Amino acid sequence: MIEVQKLVKTFHDRKRGEVAAVQDVSFVCPPGKVFGLLGRNGAGKTTTLRMLATILVPTSGTAKVAGHDIVDRPADVRRSIGYLSGETKLYDRLTGRELLGYFGALASMSSGAIAARINELSAPFGLGDFLDKRVGKMSTGMKQRLSIARVIFHDPQVLIFDEPTAGLDVIGARAVLTLIQDLKKRGRTVIFSTHIMTEAERICDEIAIIEQGRILAQGTMESLRQKSHQNSLEDVFVELVGSVNADH
Amino acid sequence: MLTTKTLAVFRKEVVDTLRDGRSIFAIFVFPFLLYPAMLFFISWMHMKEAEEAKTLEVRVGVVGGTELPFLADSLAAIPGVTAVPLDAVPASMDSAGVNAVLVVPAGIHQMIARGDSARVELLYKEADNKSSAAEARLERILEPLRLALTVSWAQSHGAHIDTPPRLVVESKDVSLKSEMGRFIAALIIPYLLMVMMAAGSMQTAIDATTGEKERSTLETLLATSASRAELLLGKCSAVIAAAVTGAVTGITGLWFTFAVVAKAFPAMGSRTLDLSIGPQTLILLFLTLLPTAIFLSAVLVAIGCFARSMREGQTYASYVYMAAIFLGLGSLGQQTPAMSRFYIPLLNTALLQREILTNSVQTAHAVAAVGVTTAAAALMLTIAVRLFSNESVLFRN
Repeated sequence: MIEVQKLVKTFHDRKRGEVAAVQDVSFVCPPGKVFGLLGRNGAGKTTTLRMLATILVPTSGTAKVAGHDIVDRPADVRRSIGYLSGETKLYDRLTGRELLGYFGALASMSSGAIAARINELSAPFGLGDFLDKRVGKMSTGMKQRLSIARVIFHDPQVLIFDEPTAGLDVIGARAVLTLIQDLKKRGRTVIFSTHIMTEAERICDEIAIIEQGRILAQGTMESLRQKSHQNSLEDVFVELVGSVNADH
Repeated sequence: MLTTKTLAVFRKEVVDTLRDGRSIFAIFVFPFLLYPAMLFFISWMHMKEAEEAKTLEVRVGVVGGTELPFLADSLAAIPGVTAVPLDAVPASMDSAGVNAVLVVPAGIHQMIARGDSARVELLYKEADNKSSAAEARLERILEPLRLALTVSWAQSHGAHIDTPPRLVVESKDVSLKSEMGRFIAALIIPYLLMVMMAAGSMQTAIDATTGEKERSTLETLLATSASRAELLLGKCSAVIAAAVTGAVTGITGLWFTFAVVAKAFPAMGSRTLDLSIGPQTLILLFLTLLPTAIFLSAVLVAIGCFARSMREGQTYASYVYMAAIFLGLGSLGQQTPAMSRFYIPLLNTALLQREILTNSVQTAHAVAAVGVTTAAAALMLTIAVRLFSNESVLFRN
């Protein structure tokens, strides 16, 4: 479960002064659902997700992730989440096995549990052939599979995906979306940011459209279409974002 | 504070470092290549210089040569020396076409007979290779010249002698080879330890911190359940290990150079040092090294947290490296350093190590050096943890 309440994040910029990256963002994502944050580049998606992952501290407001407050109990939050960003890379000089072992150890897993989990994930992710190969020598597809295995390695309750398909080809992107759907079926809470409308339409149970740090609209696909009298998510998005920018 | 997560980060960083060619070269290969290469180069230069000096033709101007008739024969007997009679000391040796000038004052015999002091001078330029070679050649005739003048003085007072008794007053170095080796070791080992520690830890520190930012792996790491302090201490431990390993391989490389390589080449035999250091001294060196390694590593890790890119991090780290060289060099010339020197991190350790190597440790110096460095290391570790926990530093653009 993710419960976000009036989350605000401002940064200090030498030239522009205080810049509000996220303003009064609130939403709820229950277990077994996929919540999509849809917005352009720089809209505030990454900052919101980084706050939920306790990488950044909110300026005001708070959120509960898996029942833990992100401000008061960040360590408990981190124990409950898996975080994957499209920009995230892996350690080139480690092997696949070492990489998974490293993140398993950071999640307080015992060496026995790590070995068992590697065996468990090896077949479904097709890791067997390249577990002992260095990451730097792996293909993009192999790295992608390893990245996904890393995120779910400690079996987190909540998964935070920040534009996870960025830079991937069709096959890679599909693998990520399939994983998200699979996690949903297994009752995990998934929050997912993207600027690709078709992805959001395909896998999200609820969508929030974010622009200039504010949520402009949120709801199911159907409710968004009905509210804006548009047929596609892209039309809904263009109308909402366009009206905000026209106001400015 | 050393949790299993800290150990996991430490292990990962060590594995990462051991698979990085640049770090392996700096820590393990560099000392075993650089020092023998330096020894070979210096020995080669010495031998080359000595050979060249033998065949070098030099011109020596002689002012007042007629005062001492035997001088012409003495100069002619020296190979490669051409005597050039001059009327007066030239304003410029170059324009006079000579490399050195031997000046005999006019009426020197009368001066000696009167009991006045007389001075024969050999003018040369140390900064000029040919001129200093001329001085080295003529050195052999200076003592006979002084004796000849002494005979002249004695004869002017009625003595019937042709050669005076040989009276020798000299200073003689009676150091054993091991003592000389210990002295040289005390001069260079503390300096090298500083430099090798800095060189060994630089790459690991920047790679483990700024490298995480540049490779976009930092976010993933920060989203794990490990605390910022656990992550940073794991990284610092790996950097400390690299610093200490760098120092140990540096000293081993030095020992290898003098005890193995130099002895294997007879031409270098005369310049070989006996670098035998007892186990007790080695343990003390290691113990004094540890707080310094922690301090240096914490400084480099803090820099790595602050830097935005590898390039920026390496630039800042190179300043630390230069500071280590500078402070290490500061220990070279100080025979009896003031107490205040023992309050300066890095310099204090180098000075204390010199005292350890020469068996002259003063308790106050040891307490100040270890105490100040330990306190500075603790302070820098705290700063590094704060920086690693500060999002405006970690994610600054």
